[in-house]
Order: sequence, then C-alpha cells, then structure tokens
Amino acid sequence: MTTTQSTATPTTQKLGIATATAVIFLVLSGLIFSAEDVVQGSTVRMMYVHVPSIWVAYLAFGLTALCSAVYVSNRSRSLIWDRFAGASAEIGVLFVAISLVTGSLWGRLTWGTFWVWDARLTSTAFLFITYIGYLAVRRLGGTFSQRARRSAIMALLAVLEIPLVHFSVNLWRTLHQKASIADPNAKVQLDGFMLFTLFWGLISFSMLFAWLLIHRQRLMALEDAVQDQGLDRAIQERRTEAGR
Amino acid sequence: MDLTPRPIADAESRAQKQRRRWAPMIIVALALVAGGVVVSQFLTSAIDYYCNVDEVGVRDGCVGQRRIRVQGIVVENSLKQTSGVSEFSLVFNDKTLRVRYQGDPGGVFQECIPVVAHGRVVDGVFDSDRIEVKHTNQYVEKNKTRFEATKETAACSQLPG
Repeated sequence: MTTTQSTATPTTQKLGIATATAVIFLVLSGLIFSAEDVVQGSTVRMMYVHVPSIWVAYLAFGLTALCSAVYVSNRSRSLIWDRFAGASAEIGVLFVAISLVTGSLWGRLTWGTFWVWDARLTSTAFLFITYIGYLAVRRLGGTFSQRARRSAIMALLAVLEIPLVHFSVNLWRTLHQKASIADPNAKVQLDGFMLFTLFWGLISFSMLFAWLLIHRQRLMALEDAVQDQGLDRAIQERRTEAGR
Repeated sequence: MDLTPRPIADAESRAQKQRRRWAPMIIVALALVAGGVVVSQFLTSAIDYYCNVDEVGVRDGCVGQRRIRVQGIVVENSLKQTSGVSEFSLVFNDKTLRVRYQGDPGGVFQECIPVVAHGRVVDGVFDSDRIEVKHTNQYVEKNKTRFEATKETAACSQLPG
C-alpha cells in the first residue's frame, strides 16, 4: 500500500500565496517603483535583498537557539523543538549565503572589490561556517535524542556570534557602513520609498522564512518517521525469524 | 530472539553506509579548517593599521613608513587623473593628506566620498596601491529634476554643513 503525505495544509497554502504576492510586490517595488540612489545609482537595489537576507538569518539562528533552549530545559524532551531548531538553521544558512553573495556583488560595484577581510565580512563568513558545522553535527549519527542534545548545545553557543556580527561595525573600524536603521543611536537615513521598500523586504522575507520553516520541519518529521519505520521493520523481521 | 547486528550482504550498500557515516565528519573537519583560515586572514589583514588622516604620523602604529590603511573623505576639486595616475587629497578632522594611486579607483569613487587607501607615506605623500570606497549609511533618492545640477557633486551635496 502506498500513502501520499504532504507537508501542506490549507493554512500553509494561504501563507504561501500571501508570501508569493509579497515577494512579487517587493520585486516591482525594488526594481521599478523605488528611485535610484544619488551616489550609488541602481546598485542600491541590492539592499532590498541583502538586508532582508541577513535579517532572516539572524531570526533563523535566534529561533534555532530558542528551540534548542526549550528542548534542553523541557522535561518532556519533545523532538519537535529539535526539528524546528534544525529546520530553522538550514534556512538561516541559505539566507546567510544569499547575504554574502549579494553583499559581495554590491561591494564590487560600490567599494570596488568583491571582498575585504574587515570585521563585518569576516564575522559573517565565520557565522556561515559555524552553522554549516552545526548542520554537519546534526548528521553525525546516533539516536534522535543524542542528535537533539548535542546540536542544542552547539546552537546555544553559536548564537552568541550574532551580536558580534551585528555590532562589529561599531566595535572595529570597518569598510562596511554602519547600520542605517537597526542602530539605536542612528537616525533613519533612507529617503521615503527606499525605506518603505526595505521594510517591505523585511516583511516578505520573514513570511518566506515562516513558510519554509513549517514545510521543512514537517518534512524532517516525515524523515524521522521513515527512519523509525525502517527500525520497526527490522525488528519485525527478526521476530518473524525467531518465531520460525 | 537474536539481536546481534546482521552483516550487510552486499558490498556496495556497505560502502554507501560508510560514505554516509564519514561525510558529516569530513564536513565538520572542513568547517573547522575554514573557520581557522577566515580568522587567520582577518588577523593578517589587521596587521595594517587602520588610521584616520589626522592620526597619520601621530598615533602609535600610524607613524613611519610602515604599510597602513588610511580613512578619509576625498576633498572636493582635489582629484587629478593624468597618464593613469590618480591624485587626490583626503581630509579627516581638518587634516589633509595627498594620495597618489596608480590606476583608476573602482566602485563609486568620486570627490566628497569616504575612502580607505592602502599603502605607505613616502615623502609626505601617501603612495597607495589599493583604494576602497567606503560609502556612507545615507541613502538619498535621485530626484530627476535636481539631478542634472547635482550629477558631478552628488556626494558633496550629502556632506554635513
């Protein structure tokens, strides 16, 4: 007998449609409605992907740490927290990669170089590598609870890098500019529609993150169930052999 | 009931299992190596002191003929480009420094924009072999009606004061 299981529900389908609509409007807003920057020209449009990408990465790694903390502190040790942590980290890695690539292209056009070893770029690259390591640690084998325990500890340590990445532009002299909006001491320094488009990017990328997270977590639950079924089948085979 | 592990019958699936077991360990090892490379590159680049123009020749690490990075704003009307050499002045906290660069600086290099120049001071002039443009965190919409008037001095119009 074959059964078909989907990770979609009517709610996630609605979220998916809303996300797609938001992203389409972001593309239109970023490429057509918003004006060029007086110094950077059209290059400034990279900001509408670059900034929301790193925002989603921070959000994802923060959620990974939160779910890991819940898993560790909760007596029930429910694996759903571990799966949410893992799914969130995978999406976070994807968005850090997008942020690094778009940042590098933006850097080539404005700074005149793809890469410099300054504090912001280096710490972001280090963050990316750390979470690649986290994902590898999740696949080292063992039982589900062993996986959950060791990756929870790593997630709780790795999240400490985020303040270092974000405040690196204030802690060191860097080529990377300081924050335009996510700085408690800074005035907002984006003209009208640019600011709106950037905020729209943050909202639509956050919706995309939520949609991806729900689906990936459900897929992980199915993967775990398949692994469990394999074990059950093996035990059943042995029982049958023993009964002969 | 016998629960001893059953030997894997076929060699191919045994090799597959081996590969699956080793792959995450290899990725962890590579991540550690990559992390080390990233940190060492950052520390190596940090050997060149990052000095503001007013610190050149004054602050510890910014004196002498050692290789440094200098940060400042390109002075308006100071840029001269002749036979592949760009010369301009950098200003920071009312101190200026003349910079000579072989080639055409890339990015959005222009007057009144903050830049970082890599090189060393030779006879009072900063001899640079690398220029990076350090754009500000201000984003101003290009207004079509005023653009033509401000085209050449776009960055200068953003300077405070």
